[in-house]
Amino acid sequence: MSEAINVAPLARGSQWKQRFLQPLLRQRSAMAGLVILAIYVVAAVCAPWLATHDPTAQDLMAALQGPSAAHWLGTDSYGQDLYSRLLYGAQLALIIGFASVALGLFVGVAVGLAAGLMGGRTEWVLMRIVDGLLAFPELILAMAFMAVLGLGTENVVYALALSFVGPFARMTRGDVLQVKNQPYIEAAKLMGVGTAAVIWRHVLPNVVSPILVQAGMRISIAILLESGLSFLGIGVVPPTPDWGLMIAEGRAFITMAPWISGVPGLALAILLVALNLLGDGLRDAFDPNTQKDAG
Amino acid sequence: MQDPVFSLLDVERSYELRGSGWFNRSSRQLKALDGVRLELQRGDTLALVGESGSGKSTLIRLMLGLEPASDGRVLYGQRDLAQLDAAERKRFACEVAFIYQNARGSMNPRMRIADILAEPIRLHGLCAEHDIPARVAALLDRVGLPAGLLQRFPGELSGGQVRRVAIARALAAEPEVIMADESVAGLDVSVQAQVLNLLRDLCRESGITLVFITHDLGVASYLCDKIAVLYLGRIVEQGPTDAILNTPRHPYTRALLQAFPRFDVPLKASLSGEIPSPVNLPQGCRFAGRCPQVQTACRATDPSLTALEADRQVACLFPVTAA
Repeated sequence: MSEAINVAPLARGSQWKQRFLQPLLRQRSAMAGLVILAIYVVAAVCAPWLATHDPTAQDLMAALQGPSAAHWLGTDSYGQDLYSRLLYGAQLALIIGFASVALGLFVGVAVGLAAGLMGGRTEWVLMRIVDGLLAFPELILAMAFMAVLGLGTENVVYALALSFVGPFARMTRGDVLQVKNQPYIEAAKLMGVGTAAVIWRHVLPNVVSPILVQAGMRISIAILLESGLSFLGIGVVPPTPDWGLMIAEGRAFITMAPWISGVPGLALAILLVALNLLGDGLRDAFDPNTQKDAG
Repeated sequence: MQDPVFSLLDVERSYELRGSGWFNRSSRQLKALDGVRLELQRGDTLALVGESGSGKSTLIRLMLGLEPASDGRVLYGQRDLAQLDAAERKRFACEVAFIYQNARGSMNPRMRIADILAEPIRLHGLCAEHDIPARVAALLDRVGLPAGLLQRFPGELSGGQVRRVAIARALAAEPEVIMADESVAGLDVSVQAQVLNLLRDLCRESGITLVFITHDLGVASYLCDKIAVLYLGRIVEQGPTDAILNTPRHPYTRALLQAFPRFDVPLKASLSGEIPSPVNLPQGCRFAGRCPQVQTACRATDPSLTALEADRQVACLFPVTAA
């Protein structure tokens, strides 16, 4: 008996590898995306040590300089160091991207679960609200909420999260409707499993993987939207190092100092490509519709 | 005589069929069960036999409280199933186990066999947390499966293995009543024999009350002491297995027996036609349309289930006399 107990965790670990790690490792482009994302994350986390200047320190004497030994990627019109701003910008972009998707995911899944499981009038009301949210393109919706909430990093997160509630809720509800009529849900209820445990143990694990894949893909959309909002001047407050803001600031000097817009633009583009590669890889590896040996 | 475990008092279950069009809103009633009276004593093994659509599964779902009765009452012990409070419902969930026809579908595909089996044990607090692995292993051993399956997912098991896991799960809560819906249908013969022997041993050893749905009279006679034959939502004949198989008194039971393949007699279709739709029931005896010895009175009077001998009831105006 003691042998069996000792063996069990080992088997569990190797099976975890077999089920989750290997399919992902097989996706070459996903791994490339993951490596690029890892570089961004390291850069963002280590920004305080990697940066050569204070990202918001202005030095008008050094404005609009090209790349040099003092300012590796040049300076903008206020003389702020672009390299340092780029690092802190990565921090902000990743935080806003993950936080807004996490918040939208949490609320959306809760709404979708409630609608799918309760049915009836509750479902009708919740889904009409979701339809209302889905009626607007994400950028328009986020812009409308920024106009109401006002500028600021937190408000960007709330606005983006709100624009993601609709898709997540709709998707969760669809999967829940499919799962809740499965015999194993009825069997669990018949065994006397409580409602909360049925939802947690039997419903959620069976709807969660396509939703998580979707969440992974939404992070890149969130970062793009956030930069878009900042570019339009309704995102974060100006001195904050933000890529969208940096691109917008460089717009006026595009002919004389193209690096001001070019550097954050390139950084943004590479990050989005990496995230999309990773998202596609995740979907190919775990989405039951594309999975070859769906268990 | 002790109290019955289950008593069904003239239970009816009807579904409303609505017209599909905007202008066709007329609703019709589909009677899946029509006045079923049944008593189940502790330790009984009862087989519910009948063709597809005769209401076997509906009957068992009603007895499990998965569906409410439209009319009549289902009593568990002395209590109406529809009026159980939370504590009684929990006790019911622990004492009555159900083995689904679709064994694979009745297990969460994202849970390992070990967790599936541990769930009812943990739920009803049947043993301490650190004893659960040993207990789960014992359960798996009892249904004759190797312990290596514990870390597998239901999707990785064969049909026969999944059925046996389903039985093990039903046993996990140490129930007093087990209900099984076609638990051996579609299994190959050797596995079928294993499952049947397992169930039989359980009933003999632990005195479990068993309700077993089947359309296979051979299975019914092997496993069960009593048989109830259903036709179109009504019990047409019930009694001890030997008596029913040797001297069927209802023409439908006799026809079912004749349809059972034997080695020495050529098989002929003894029942012509399909089971009629329960939406528009004919007047009189519901079996009249297919009955080989139908008489004029059968088309006018609906026979009720009446006792012929001790323990033996038949719903027929002109029961077949013992040959």
